[in-house]
Amino acid sequence: MANVIEVEGLTKRFGSLVAVNDVSFTVERGEIFGLLGKNGAGKTTTVEILEGYQSPDEGRVQVLGVDPKKGGGAWKDRVGLVLQDSDFDPSHTVTETVKLFAGFFSHPKSVAETLELVGLSDKANVRIGRLSGGQRRRVDVALGIIGSPELLFLDEPTTGFDPSARREFWTMLEGLRTAGTSILLTTHYMEEAQHLCDRIAILAAGRIVAEGTSTSLIALAGTTTVRFDAVGALDVEALSRETGIAFRVEGDVVSATLEHVQSDLLRLLQHVERAGHELDGLEVVRPTLDDVFLDVTGERT
Amino acid sequence: MRFIRLSLRQAEYNLVAYTRSARTVIFGVLMPVGFLALFNSVFGGKFKTIPVDGHNISTIAFYTGGLTTYGVMLGTFTGILVAIVGAREAGWLKRFRGTPMPSGVFLAGEILYLFVTSLGLIIVMLAVSHFGYHLSLRADAYLAIFCYTVLGVFAFSAMGLALTRLITTSEMAGSVGPFAVVILSFISGVFLAPNLLPQWLLTFSSYLPLQPIVSGMQHAIALSSGSGLVLRPFIVLGIWGVVSFVIAQFNFTWEPQRQ
Repeated sequence: MANVIEVEGLTKRFGSLVAVNDVSFTVERGEIFGLLGKNGAGKTTTVEILEGYQSPDEGRVQVLGVDPKKGGGAWKDRVGLVLQDSDFDPSHTVTETVKLFAGFFSHPKSVAETLELVGLSDKANVRIGRLSGGQRRRVDVALGIIGSPELLFLDEPTTGFDPSARREFWTMLEGLRTAGTSILLTTHYMEEAQHLCDRIAILAAGRIVAEGTSTSLIALAGTTTVRFDAVGALDVEALSRETGIAFRVEGDVVSATLEHVQSDLLRLLQHVERAGHELDGLEVVRPTLDDVFLDVTGERT
Repeated sequence: MRFIRLSLRQAEYNLVAYTRSARTVIFGVLMPVGFLALFNSVFGGKFKTIPVDGHNISTIAFYTGGLTTYGVMLGTFTGILVAIVGAREAGWLKRFRGTPMPSGVFLAGEILYLFVTSLGLIIVMLAVSHFGYHLSLRADAYLAIFCYTVLGVFAFSAMGLALTRLITTSEMAGSVGPFAVVILSFISGVFLAPNLLPQWLLTFSSYLPLQPIVSGMQHAIALSSGSGLVLRPFIVLGIWGVVSFVIAQFNFTWEPQRQ
């Protein structure tokens, strides 16, 4: 079977609130799939239904070919979880905790190898109570991967990580993907999704508002922008007229969306060069997933 | 086989936490031992014997049997309440639920661990009574004490389990448990001689889950002949235990309750 996750028409209500509204997507074997959205968008509810913790009100859900609500021990043996928040007994060491979990699975990784992967080798014999928040999160991840899962769920795994820890964590996930693990990741960090995910679905108010690879999503957000500082000597209106590019002035910054990046830029630069201006703070910016996110969720004002 | 192996590992994991926590050692061992020394020095000189359910029992046997059972109930009932509510509210139970661990392993591991710590407490208490207060036991008494301990750990942990749904924080579990055990102990012939209590209260407490097993333990330790085993504690605590387990079956939850 090529798809590790199949979701069709998934709907979940809490009273009058529709937390997940007619959501459909598939996750292929071996890919990192990202569910992107703000807090309250329905990410965790969706993931908890896929993990078997909650039941859908409507729709069909298959994880590794099984309805998660009916997934028994053999199914759980193939799935790894990193929940949004769980805590551990502070009096046990990292190794003791990971070892306990290793015993639940039929094909566990070695404890040493797992700690190496999550970057906790030097904390192996430290009690959980003495770890920092980010280090505890890594213990969570260690418990998620100790059973050599085919499919790993990660619910906002890098919350509370510093930037360098986040980079290391990404490298680790890419390593898992190379080793054949399929990953469903939720995050509210655009950069994380853009960097890691083969495909992304953006959730807003319980609905999928956009889906695709990060490149195809970014294409949705239109085109490249040029920006530079506004200086008194520069007549922006004349510039727009003569170059045929619609420049906008927002405060101290002049910007324009470029239809044809190369020729537009060339015209702009030739014009200012002839007029004898210096462009300070010149930037040519490709859209990021942030822009797509703001566009598709209607957050852009 | 896998179930037993995992339960033993879980019990071992719990024992490690027990030995690393000052709170469990102080409340679980030092407090019952301290009470034993205290009550025995206060009342040991005044009364040679104390009447319990129709027999006169030596004061040291009265306090050894009573305070040991008190310690077992405190450790088991409070222990399971704190462990399960704490693990549930921290998301630990939910996390276990998502692994291939059979769902009974967590509970089996708890009960097994509480049984081991209860036996440990009993050994300490009997040793203190023997070396400090010249209490000697007949060989038969050990079997009776063992049987009562199995009964007590089963019934008290079942009762704790049944209450977990009502308790939403581990702080609350840590105060409700000891409070209930101490109140119950005052009317069950643990701290006070039963003949100081009014008859109606004695009758009432004989249907509660502590008095019958306290009396059983005290008789097993004091009697000079016979097995020391009587049926009544097994009936009363058996009913409490089974009913509690049935309630727990219906109201147990793996999900954190505090939102």
